[in-house]
Amino acid sequence: MSATEAAGFRTADDVPEDLRVDLAGLLLSLADNKRLLGMRYAEWLLGAPTLEAGIACSAMAQDEWGHSRILYAMLKDFGKDPGQLEHEREAEQYLSIELLDGPPAEWSGLVALNFLLDTALSVQIESLKESRFEPLHYKVRKILEEERFHFEHGRGWLARLAQTPAGLKSLGGALTPVWQSCLQWFGAPDGGLIARLSEAGISDAGPDELRARWLSRVGPMVTEAGLGLAESDDGSAWRSIIDPDWSKWDSARRRSGDGAVNAETLAAVRGDKNRAMLMD
Amino acid sequence: MSSRLVQIRRAGTGLPVPGPSVDPTADEGYQSVIDRNVNFSAVFADATGRNPDLVLEIPEWHTPPADLEERVWRALYEVSDPEFPISLVDLGLVYGVEVAEPDSTGGAKVTVAITLTATACPCVEFIKWDVRDRLLQEAGVSEVDVRITWDPPWTNDRISDRGREALRRAGVSI
Repeated sequence: MSATEAAGFRTADDVPEDLRVDLAGLLLSLADNKRLLGMRYAEWLLGAPTLEAGIACSAMAQDEWGHSRILYAMLKDFGKDPGQLEHEREAEQYLSIELLDGPPAEWSGLVALNFLLDTALSVQIESLKESRFEPLHYKVRKILEEERFHFEHGRGWLARLAQTPAGLKSLGGALTPVWQSCLQWFGAPDGGLIARLSEAGISDAGPDELRARWLSRVGPMVTEAGLGLAESDDGSAWRSIIDPDWSKWDSARRRSGDGAVNAETLAAVRGDKNRAMLMD
Repeated sequence: MSSRLVQIRRAGTGLPVPGPSVDPTADEGYQSVIDRNVNFSAVFADATGRNPDLVLEIPEWHTPPADLEERVWRALYEVSDPEFPISLVDLGLVYGVEVAEPDSTGGAKVTVAITLTATACPCVEFIKWDVRDRLLQEAGVSEVDVRITWDPPWTNDRISDRGREALRRAGVSI
């Protein structure tokens, strides 16, 4: 990369057009996933196994919405209207992972989203710390700071559920699909959005490296919990034992399958019921 | 918007120390569905007689302010956090103040960069309103622009000694 090519981008206008589309796609996919993950956390406010877990879900939901709003607001620079993104889109326009289309049926499913998916989002965000798109430098640290607590919460519940045979069985069923989808979410190894952003210096890693970082973070605890999803020879580099199914992967929407978030969730995240109270 | 180097005055000392530049990407913050109906600074200023521990303590200044920028900083000591009687400055939320050149009528635009303790702070609109309200009472201020920044992330070691004392009085341990 020549010196000119490596120059930082201070605004969206500095970014070459094709790259700008990719970058906007990355920001929107992070924002949408955080928006919907926040909704999934919020649904457990009154149904979590302990009062403390419900309160933690409330705090994590609030964090996710704070992060998604920071990201939606960043898209203003790309000619988008944050209010429209937050309140006016149809389900098919969300760039959200299939795991968030509907609510998890059990607490172990929420723990899987907390530990695996929330960590995947953080791994992706961490790759933007030194991004060539400079506005990210001012947002990423605060988001990651708040995410440390989400990781600890997910890790704690993973270990706790794994202590009983019933908990472990429930975890196994819940974690496997989330595991596969998270691996896939970083993108196919041969090209795609994240690969292009990595080549351009927007992200400091491509799909395979991001997967490896995620595996090194979640692999040890999942293995310690007694779930056969990951393996390591030296305790530092982790491999997934199972592979994702790429046949339905849609790289533009960063999801598997052509579904979309369900109607009830969509109405809630858009704030349909309280539309009259929206301020300009 | 260009990056501007500003000075941060450490709470309590009144002395300027080098601060970070105002985040050039700081924006207006996200929208809120809550309209303004409470002035929290007024609530705490009014607590006398009900609970003296909940009165916002404002520093005593022994010298006249040097310039408008210093008046702005002093005024910000009178703006309270919405939840506790501690000023935004003592809480360490104010990252920078910039006073523009006065216009032809002698009024100057003031830009204040603030951070919040959490990204999803539900009080952002209240805080912005209170800052704007208070600063517009200063002679020579024609316009107030409150910007939200997240860098560097706020930590509780930004709270001044006076702020720690105020929180203790209000029953918050830090």
